[in-house]
Amino acid sequence: MLRDRLIFSLIYNAGAFMQSRNFRLQRVGDINWLERNYKFQKISFSLDELIVVDATKENKDIKKFSEAVKRLVNDVFIPVAAGGGILSLEDAELLFNNGADKVILNSTLYETPELAKSIIEKYGSQSLVASVDYKLVDDIPVVYINDGSVPIAMPFDEYLTFLQALGVGEILLNSIQQDGTGFGYDLSTIQEYGQSISVPLLIMGGAGNERHLLDGLKQDGVSAVVTANLFNFIGNGLPNARKYMLENNANLARW
Amino acid sequence: MKLVIVDYGMGNITSIISALNYIGQDNVVVSNDTRTLNDADKLILPGVGNYATAIAKIRKLNLDTQIEELVINQKKPILGICLGMQLLGDSSTESGFNSGLSLVNGVVDKFCKSELKVPHVGYNQVMPSQQSRLYADIEGEPDFYFTHSFKMLSKSSIGQSFCHYGEDFIASFELDNVAGVQFHPELSQKNGLQLIKNFIELF
Repeated sequence: MLRDRLIFSLIYNAGAFMQSRNFRLQRVGDINWLERNYKFQKISFSLDELIVVDATKENKDIKKFSEAVKRLVNDVFIPVAAGGGILSLEDAELLFNNGADKVILNSTLYETPELAKSIIEKYGSQSLVASVDYKLVDDIPVVYINDGSVPIAMPFDEYLTFLQALGVGEILLNSIQQDGTGFGYDLSTIQEYGQSISVPLLIMGGAGNERHLLDGLKQDGVSAVVTANLFNFIGNGLPNARKYMLENNANLARW
Repeated sequence: MKLVIVDYGMGNITSIISALNYIGQDNVVVSNDTRTLNDADKLILPGVGNYATAIAKIRKLNLDTQIEELVINQKKPILGICLGMQLLGDSSTESGFNSGLSLVNGVVDKFCKSELKVPHVGYNQVMPSQQSRLYADIEGEPDFYFTHSFKMLSKSSIGQSFCHYGEDFIASFELDNVAGVQFHPELSQKNGLQLIKNFIELF
């Protein structure tokens, strides 16, 4: 049986790793801090996948970011998706060559969809994750680009259709309002749109404990739950969360 | 033991090298050079991306005839991973009909059920064939990481193990010195590391 996935997301900013709340970033430590506190090789056994996003606002350095990705994923044998600031096929290539199995695009999907097409042509649909940030405005989801700062004109459902027609392999829906709150996922939007998406759907934003992760996976059409909550899942947080989920009949891979 | 990862410019080989190193294989070379391929004890054919593009690149580099010589005549063991596995079969319909390397009988076609989410992405369980070498010391119906839109079927007996996604399809095959896995062992935690170790030790 195809398993659901539990994915951890790390937010990188100019050499440091960050905690995000409503898309405002707080620094928690650099890669040495992360290695000391996380021992990723060990933690990866509680995960099904890892996402690393470069959220640096100005002067992104994709070379430096790719080096951090490489160091982070050494001896980690799960899929790694990386993105944030990919502006060319060469940028994507750099990440693929440094340990990324998939790349993530966000604003460029809307602004220059040709880039997505050339990545898909070279690496295949399965290598591209479309990241979609949205806010509820009068209860209707609106897509925001450029780090959640600019709303796009295209309606939410049309945008999802557009992405699937483009050929992206997976869609990551990230609720800006739920981000970092620990209040749980935006289940209403997922319930309304999840089933109409014909590629795997990853949801992000709001998970504060293992029950939230479990609730997310229970939604129809959801393939994976993503959390970037560094503090709640530090130490044995992740192994315990996975154990709790398995005990409550979550359909996760068993190692 | 010299392991050569066949280089035809497609596929993420970083994690494959990292997995091989992790299980103690230090003599790993990525190459398409005839002499290097000849020196190999075992070959790995990786690959992600488009079948039509891949087979065109393989032919252009004359790797098809070299692989045939090394695997069929010299009996060097080969492990195809993901697209690399599909290329070892007869043909695929991805981007039009293309013939493959035909080291085993098998045809590749798209997942056809409309209610399925495609690509098939994530960990899925494999039902190992009886007396499989690939799954030695791996218990039960182990989880492996899949990510693909096309799947292989075969009418022949090629030591196939199956996975189920809307229908049964080939998760792996092993016929004498030719092995292939549709999933990514290098992204499948300890199950995958054990499988790679099995290929190195038992083929």
